[in-house]
Amino acid sequence: MAPLGAIVQRESGRDTIERARARASLIPSLLVEAQRVANTVFSGWHGRRKRGVGENFWQFRPYTPGENMSRIDWRRSARDESHIYVQDKEWQATHTVWLWVDESPSMLFKSDAATVAKQSRALVLAFAMAELLAKSGERVGWLGLTRPILSRNAAEKLAEALILGKPQTEFPKAPDLGQHSDLIIISDFLDPVEQVSGQLESLFKRGTRGHVVQMVDPVEEVFPYKGRVEFSDPETGEKFTAGNAEMLKAQYEAEIAARSEAIRQTTNKLGWSFTRHHTDRLASEALVQLHTHLGERAL
Amino acid sequence: MFGLPLAFTSPWLLMALISLPIIWWLLRLTPPKPQEEVFPPTRILARLQEKEETPAQSPWWLTLLRLLMAALVIFAMAGPILNPDETALKGDGPIMIVMDDGWASAQEWETRRNTALVLIEEAKNAGRTVILESTAGHENWTGEPLSPEEAASLLQASESIAIEPDHSKTAQRIKAKIKSNNPGQIVWLSDGLSREGTKQLGDTIISTNKATTLYQADIENLLLIETISNEPKELFGTLARAQSDGAQEASIIARDLKGLVISRTNALFNDGETKTRFAFDGPVELRNQIARLEVETAKNAAAVQLLDDNNRRRLVGLISGENFDRNQPLLSPLYYISRALEPFSDLRRADDANVTASVPELINQGVSAIALADVGVITEAAEKQLTKWINEGGVLIRFSGPRLAASPEGNLLPVAIRPGDRNLGGALSWETPKSLAPFERDSPFFGINPPRDVLVKKQLLALQETNLEEKTWATLEDGTPLVTAKKQGAGWIILYHVGSDADWSNLPLSGTFVEMLRRTVNLSRSNGTIPSNNETISLPPLRVLNGEGQFIPPETSIKPLVISAGDSKTVTPENPPGFYGTEDGFTALNLFEEETNLVPITQEGFIGDFEKQNYLTGASFDFKIWLIVLAAILLLIDCLAVLWMAGALRTKRPTRSAVANISILVVGLWVLTNTSPVFAQETDENFDFQSALKTRLAYVVTGITDVDNISEAGMRGLTFFISSRTALEPGEPIGLDISQDELSFYSLIYWPVDPRAELPSPETVARIDAYMKEGGSILFDTRDQVSGVLGGTSASPAAKTLQQILSTLDIPPLEPVPTDHVLTKSFYLLERFPGRYAGGELWVEKSQNLNPVEGRRPARAGDGVSSIMITSNDMAGAWAVDGSLRPLLPTIPPDPTQRNYAYRSGVNLMMYALTGNYKADQVHLPALLQRLGQ
Repeated sequence: MAPLGAIVQRESGRDTIERARARASLIPSLLVEAQRVANTVFSGWHGRRKRGVGENFWQFRPYTPGENMSRIDWRRSARDESHIYVQDKEWQATHTVWLWVDESPSMLFKSDAATVAKQSRALVLAFAMAELLAKSGERVGWLGLTRPILSRNAAEKLAEALILGKPQTEFPKAPDLGQHSDLIIISDFLDPVEQVSGQLESLFKRGTRGHVVQMVDPVEEVFPYKGRVEFSDPETGEKFTAGNAEMLKAQYEAEIAARSEAIRQTTNKLGWSFTRHHTDRLASEALVQLHTHLGERAL
Repeated sequence: MFGLPLAFTSPWLLMALISLPIIWWLLRLTPPKPQEEVFPPTRILARLQEKEETPAQSPWWLTLLRLLMAALVIFAMAGPILNPDETALKGDGPIMIVMDDGWASAQEWETRRNTALVLIEEAKNAGRTVILESTAGHENWTGEPLSPEEAASLLQASESIAIEPDHSKTAQRIKAKIKSNNPGQIVWLSDGLSREGTKQLGDTIISTNKATTLYQADIENLLLIETISNEPKELFGTLARAQSDGAQEASIIARDLKGLVISRTNALFNDGETKTRFAFDGPVELRNQIARLEVETAKNAAAVQLLDDNNRRRLVGLISGENFDRNQPLLSPLYYISRALEPFSDLRRADDANVTASVPELINQGVSAIALADVGVITEAAEKQLTKWINEGGVLIRFSGPRLAASPEGNLLPVAIRPGDRNLGGALSWETPKSLAPFERDSPFFGINPPRDVLVKKQLLALQETNLEEKTWATLEDGTPLVTAKKQGAGWIILYHVGSDADWSNLPLSGTFVEMLRRTVNLSRSNGTIPSNNETISLPPLRVLNGEGQFIPPETSIKPLVISAGDSKTVTPENPPGFYGTEDGFTALNLFEEETNLVPITQEGFIGDFEKQNYLTGASFDFKIWLIVLAAILLLIDCLAVLWMAGALRTKRPTRSAVANISILVVGLWVLTNTSPVFAQETDENFDFQSALKTRLAYVVTGITDVDNISEAGMRGLTFFISSRTALEPGEPIGLDISQDELSFYSLIYWPVDPRAELPSPETVARIDAYMKEGGSILFDTRDQVSGVLGGTSASPAAKTLQQILSTLDIPPLEPVPTDHVLTKSFYLLERFPGRYAGGELWVEKSQNLNPVEGRRPARAGDGVSSIMITSNDMAGAWAVDGSLRPLLPTIPPDPTQRNYAYRSGVNLMMYALTGNYKADQVHLPALLQRLGQ
C-alpha cells in the first residue's frame, strides 16, 4: 500500500497568489450571486482614513501657528524653503490586519484525501484575505516580514516579500502589533496545547484581536491507518511504530478532538475567533467564515 | 487409538501436527516491516502510546492459545470419531442379511442401511459373499449370494417400501435359501416390531445353528394412524404407538389433495396408553377437502392416512311427501332416515314439502344424494331436473309409503311397481312377516349380516321384468325385491320397497338400515369405485406412498388396484398405499385401516437366543464439529485478549462505545425481528410525546440540505436567545415533515420558501389549512428581500413559489405589520423586523378595525393570532449559530445591531404566537402607552 500522505514542496507566493486571487475574486461574486449585496459586505469596517491620533504616518501639512511645536517634522521642513511642515498621523482606528502563516514542515503535509498541502491552502487563504482587505482599503501586513501595506496590490507585495524572506517556521514574536489591529494566524497547531495557548495569550496581551485558523488535513482527523505502520514526524524526525494502527484510532481521534477543543477554548477565552479548516474542503468556506468573523469583530 | 475408542477418518492429516513448531516460530517471529507514513501529529500518537507500553512480543500464553487453536483445527480435519462403528463377523461362508424393509424401517432407514453397509464392508474385507433378503419384498433382491460390491450398490439404491413385512413368507423362502447357500452367519436387521410370522422367522433362523445376530430397533418413535371416521361434528382418528411408557404428544396435520395444510391437531398419549384419539373440527365442507392425514414428526407410510370419497361426508337432501311439521317426530317418515344418515353425512331438509320447489333448492345446495320419503307423484319439471342431476352423478333414494303405493308411476323408479302394497302377516293374510335374505355377493350390501329379527310387514312389489334380478340389491326371504336400483347416467336411482318409518317394517329401527343407507349414499359421486355387480374394477395407480409416507409418482412395477365386490383392499408390494383411480374419482389405499397393535419384537419368545446388537447410530460420535467450535471459541478469546492488550477494553470511553455498539446491534436486531410499522408507531409516539411536553421551535424541512441546516441552526440560535432572555425555555428545535408530522404541538412554524423545494401536495395543503384554522401560525420566509416581490416590484422565484403554495390556501387579506400591531410590543418594542436583510416587510393578517369611529387602530387583532406571517428578511439566516453560538452568516449590511433586532423580532414572533392578543389586552394598554410615551 502506498503511503497515504507525503511531504510536498514548499509553495512560494508566486503561484499561490494567483490562486488566492481566484479565491478572492470568487468571494464577492459568490456573494453577489447569492445576495447581490457584495458592495455592502466590504464597506463600513471602520471610518475612512482621516488624520488623527495614531501611530502611522498619514501626511505632511503646513504648520499653523499655535500648534504644538513638537509636532513639526523638521526633516521635511528642512527640505522646503518656505514652509514648516507638520506630520499628521493616521487616525488610530484605521484598521491594520496582520497575517501570519505557519510554514513549518508539518504544514507541508498533504494526504491523498486532501487536494492541497496545508501550507498551500494556508497561503491561499492569507493572500485571498489580503486581496479582499486591500481592495477595501485596509492595511495588511505579514507578521515578522513586512510592515502594514496600504495598497491595492498589497497581496502581491506580501507575496513578493514572502518569496524573498525566510520561511517562517517559528511562532511570531510580533513586535509591530498595534493595539487596534487584527491578526490572522493560520497554522496546524500541532505543538503541545499549553505551548500554543501560551503563544496565543502572549499575542493577546498586546491587545490584538486574533483570528485563529487551524488547518487540518482530513487524514489527521479520521486516522485511516491500518495494520503495522511506522509514523514519522516531518518536524522533529521522530519515529513511532504502531503495531496495529487501527487500535489507536479511537484514542487518537478523541485526543485530536480534545486538542481542537482546547485551542477553541483558549480563543474563546481571549475573545478571538476560531476557524477549523480541512484541506479537502473548498478554500472559500474558510474564507467566508473568516470574513464573517472579521466583519463581526471590526465593529 | 491410544487405548481410547477413537478413530480418524483421515489419520494422515495428523502429520500436519509436525508443522506446529513452524507455526510457533512464525508466531514468535518479528512482525513484518511496517508501512511507512509521514504523519505530522506523530508526537500526539507517541504520547498516546506511552501510556500503553505494549510488549514487543506477544505473551507466551497467547502463543500457546494460538498453537492450541492450530492443533485443534488439525485434529478436527483428521476427522476424529469416538466409539467408531465396529461389528464383528462370525463364521465363514456367505453372510445372509435379512432386512425388515417395510414402513417401520422408513424413519430410520439411513441407519439401517448404513449398518448393513458396514456389514457388507466387513464382508468385503473378509472376502465373503453377501445374501440380501427382504421381508417386505424388494423385488430385485434375488436372495442369491452377491459380491459385496454388488450388494452394496443394490442396497444403496434401495429405499424402504410402504408395506407391512411378511415374516412368514420370508421364513419359508429363506429356509430353502439357507439349505442351498449355507450361509456362515445370519444377520437379521429387524424393525423392532413383532407381527404374524415373526416367531416363525426367528425360529427358522435360529434353528440353522449358525451364528445369528439380531439388530433391535428403537421403536419409541413409531406412530401410526389406525382408523378414521368422519362424524357429524368432527373427524376422528385413532393414533397408535408401539410402546406404552411415558406421555407423548403428537401433532397431526391434515392436508388437501394439493398438499396444502388445512388444519392441525394434537394427540396426547398418557403414560401406559398405546392408543389415543384425535379430532379435527371445522365445517364439513372444509373437512371434506382433507385428503391426507399425517403425523408431523413421523416419517413412515403408516403414519399417513389417505382419505377418499368414502371418508367424505356427503350432503343428503331429504324430501318428504308428508307434512313433517307433525307433533310426533317419531312418526315422521324422515326421522329414521335422518338418524341413520347423520353419522356419516350432512342433511339438508327441504324447506318446502312441494317437490317441485324443493328439488332445485336442494340441487343448488350441492347435495350428493336425495332421499324421497314416500313421494308419489313427481311433477314434470322436478323430474326433468332430477333426471339431469342423476345423470351427473346424483343418487336418488326413494322410500315407499302409501303415496308411492297409490301412484307408482314416472321414470324415476328403478323397476316398474305394481300399484298397491303387499301385506304380510296381516289379519287377512296367512303369510307371516318376512325377514331379510342374506345379501348376494354382487350386491353393494354384501358383507352386512342382516339380523333375523328384522321383519317386513308391508312392501311394494316390483313387476316382473327380465333384468329384475340384476337390479335387485336386497331381497326378502321369499325372493321378492326389497331394494332395487338402476344406474342412470353417472348416478343411481334406488328404491327401498319399504317405508322409511316403522310402519311397514322394523328395518329402519335396525343398525342394518344405517349400514345399508351408508353404502347407498356412498355410491354418490364415487364414480364406481365400489363394484355393484359381480365384477372387478381395476384402478390405475394415481399417486402412491413411499416408505417414508411421501407421495411419489407410481413406478412401472406398481400394478393397478383390482377390487372385486365385497373384497377389502389389501396392500401388497404391487399395490403400495396411495390413491388409485383417476383424478376425478379415486379410492384410497392405506396400510392400516383397522385397529392394529404394535408389539415390540422383544416380547417374542424365540426357541433360541440371538446375539443382540444395536444399530450403529448414536454410538459413534464424530466430534470434528465440536473441535472446530472449540477452535472458534479460542479464536474469539484470542481476539478479546488482543483487544484487551491493546487497551480497547480498558479505557472508559471505548467501553462505553462498545456497549453502545452492542446495544445498537441489539436494537437493530430487535427492529429487524419486529415489524417496521410497529416501530414507526412507537417512535412517532415518542416524538409526539416530546413535542407535547415542551414548547419547541419548529421549522419545515424543505429537503434542501443547506436551507434546512440554516433553518435548524437558526432555530437553535433563537432557542438560545429566547431561553436566555425570556421566561420561555423552548426544547430542542425540531424539523417537521409538513406532509406527515403532527403539527398541532407547535404554535409557530418557520417555513423557508425555496423554489427548489417540492410544492406541497393537495393533502399537505389541507393539513396546513387545518393547522392554520386551528390556531397555528406559519412564518413564511422567502429569504430574498433584495430582489423579492415584497420589497421590490417583480416576483422572485421564491415569491412565486410562495404564491403557488398559498394559492390553494384560504388566506385572509394581508398587510405589513402596522405600527400598533401586537407584534411590535409582544416582548420587545420593535418597529421593524429585520433578519439577515433589513429591508423586507413582515406581512400579517389584516386586522379588523373594530372601532372605525375611533379612527385609530387599537392594538388588538380580533381574538386570534395572525395565522400567516410572511417575511423576506431571511430570519433564520440571522438567527443561525454554530455549535459555539457564533453567528454563521453575516447580516447584510454587517451590523450586529441588526442581528440583535433580528433575535428580538424572533422573540416577539414567538411571544405573539404563544400569548396571542394578551399583550393587546386593554388592561395593559395604559402601561404600554405610558412606556411608548403617548
